[in-house]
Amino acid sequence: MKTLRLLALLLMSTGLALAADLQNYTIRLQAQRDGSGQGLATLQVKDLAAGTLSLPLGFAAAEELHLEGAPAGVRLEASPHNGMTALKLQIPQELPGRTTLRWSFRLKQVFQNTQPKPGEKSTLPAGSRLFRHAFVNTQEDVLGAYRLEFLLPEGFMFQTIREQLPKLAKSEVEPRVRLDKLDGCQSATLQCSKLMQGDGLSMVLEVVPVRKSWAWLVAGLTLAGLYLYYFRDLVAAPERR
Amino acid sequence: MAAVADSATKVPTLQELLDMEKMTLSSKTRAAQSPTEQWMRYLGFPGGILLFLLIYFLPAGAGLSAAAQSGAACFALALVWWVTEPFPTYVTSLVLMFLLLVTRTSNAKAIMDVLGMEVIWLNLLAFILASMLVKTRLAKRMALWLVVRFGHKASWALLAFLVLQLVLAPLIPATAARCVMTLPLMIVVATIYGSTESTPNAFGKNMMLLNLACISVLSSITMTGSSANLIAVGLIQNMGGQRVYYMDWMRVGAPVAILTMVLMWLLGQKLLFRMKPEEQVPQVEGGLDLVRHQFEAMGPLGFQEKKAIAIFGLVLFLWMTDIFHMRWFGVEISAPFAALLGAVIVLFPRWGILSWAEADIPWHLLIFSAGAYAGGLALDSTGAAEWGVRQLFGGMNLKGVPFGITYTVVISVMMYSHLLTTSKTVRTLIMIPIIITLAKALGWSPISLALPAALCIDWVVGLPISGKPNVIMFSTNQYTVGDNFKYGMLTCTLGVVILVISAATWFHWLGITPSFWAVAP
Repeated sequence: MKTLRLLALLLMSTGLALAADLQNYTIRLQAQRDGSGQGLATLQVKDLAAGTLSLPLGFAAAEELHLEGAPAGVRLEASPHNGMTALKLQIPQELPGRTTLRWSFRLKQVFQNTQPKPGEKSTLPAGSRLFRHAFVNTQEDVLGAYRLEFLLPEGFMFQTIREQLPKLAKSEVEPRVRLDKLDGCQSATLQCSKLMQGDGLSMVLEVVPVRKSWAWLVAGLTLAGLYLYYFRDLVAAPERR
Repeated sequence: MAAVADSATKVPTLQELLDMEKMTLSSKTRAAQSPTEQWMRYLGFPGGILLFLLIYFLPAGAGLSAAAQSGAACFALALVWWVTEPFPTYVTSLVLMFLLLVTRTSNAKAIMDVLGMEVIWLNLLAFILASMLVKTRLAKRMALWLVVRFGHKASWALLAFLVLQLVLAPLIPATAARCVMTLPLMIVVATIYGSTESTPNAFGKNMMLLNLACISVLSSITMTGSSANLIAVGLIQNMGGQRVYYMDWMRVGAPVAILTMVLMWLLGQKLLFRMKPEEQVPQVEGGLDLVRHQFEAMGPLGFQEKKAIAIFGLVLFLWMTDIFHMRWFGVEISAPFAALLGAVIVLFPRWGILSWAEADIPWHLLIFSAGAYAGGLALDSTGAAEWGVRQLFGGMNLKGVPFGITYTVVISVMMYSHLLTTSKTVRTLIMIPIIITLAKALGWSPISLALPAALCIDWVVGLPISGKPNVIMFSTNQYTVGDNFKYGMLTCTLGVVILVISAATWFHWLGITPSFWAVAP
């Protein structure tokens, strides 16, 4: 009897998980020169039941949260949860078919504080910044696909992708993080599909100002010039060698 | 190499030519052979620097990180220096490793770790085993026997060398070592047939270029034929998720390589360098007899030679049976560990064959390889290689195209790309990951494109700078750059044709490739 009850509970929970078909969750985050960021999240769902849909945002301390596009009556609330922002979408009535929900938010600081403490060795050159994003699907529904598009302000570029997790599965073709250009800015897109409850993905990017040291040019041309002068005997006529 | 270069200045005796124990892989830079080479060396240094600066200061590409851009700049500089040789290749490798660090392309650990890579260990251990073959004179005996047995007629003499290279290829993975070991015999036999440095003839061209092609191409018979093959196998396993066993590689690689070389043996004589009737018979009276005397003077197989056969047999057995190791021993003895076992026996006090001092380990080659790997890995880890080949293949829309067409494009690009690089390893590290990615993107099994492409890795026969054996062989002055290019291009084209036919038949029957005209879903 106890087993049957457990089985029934399990079936009910599976039924709840299937109640919302979360197809696509995309966040576009545009970093500003002062280190702040403006985000726009888009969630595509199918056959959304009435009630509360909880979603993680993947960023801490999101401010100025505004619903930009949603059916009438839908409300959005944010609260801190385990150091991250947890979102609650109140759905007043069942929404059959495909629905797109859109909201914007602001982050005061998108980059990590990498200033070494007094006496500590610096691990980054001056002017470099680190951007870290980790997303864990904390709600019970399977998330069809998750994408974070991180756009850099003008004058900055990615030095390197320091971390990209999880490792690509054999069936995956697209890289976990792809560098590209979106709306004229250099961008990094983190993506993963079919995220079960507890599944997560993350990336750490090093960002540097777009400026190259002229020391390379001076040193390179000086060395080339010196070589051409001191090694000219390599092509001198045999009698002059 | 130095010994070979020196041989160009004074006429050596037959006895001297057959003294293979004196052949060592010298780290000395080869002297420039022509005014063009002298100018290349002179301008290569500033040329490399200018190319570095050009790529480094270019506006950032959309999909390229700063590390990838600086990695491409460093690698371009190294490539120009490896080709033009203003420095010895190993010095260029050291410069490249330093540049990778200071341009923040790779971190110190990633750069230094390459010396501990499996391929470096395999190279090192293979040289110990090769030293054993030379010291026990087993290599010399095998070579002499083949010449005595088949060397009465020009065609048969050439075929004897084909067979010799075929026998040595699975035994000695280092192409340079195989080249150095057999070059004296090539020179002797060419002399017997009237082809010398001052009076090269069609037989000499056929002899040198057939051997050059055999040394390179026959390395693709086994996955241990060259370290680049092993890298390709590792990439197919790590990136493609498909394991390639020793026999898997051999079943596809051996027929293609052997058939191509047999055809080149025929086409070289009948099409490219036709021999006059007088060149088809030995021209030095008693020449072959001298070789026979040498062979007979060696007497019966000595105890040390028998020991060498047993040790090599054990290593070869372990290489060939890796698929069964887990079942037999509960652990897989990979190729470097099989060679390591062989090296332990070879170096064992009293019971072994060599002392450490007798092992001819060319550290400069290992340092050169380490630099090349560090550069190649940096291109890979920063995404520069993928970006580059994506640009290359991105121009061609291969989506929805039948497998056979995609396969032919991939094989052709892989085969002829050796003209642009001097390192098989670097080419492998750049091309194979992209081919695996391409296969996945197009919906094909990674192994269907990557394994046949990996078979092309060793076919570095187009130019005298395409590989170490090429440089060594070119020093004989028996053929020109044009002759080398002609012979190399015919070999590669023949290889592409045979690989394409194999994809439609043999590889398909083995389950490696899909149907030739299949379209991915």
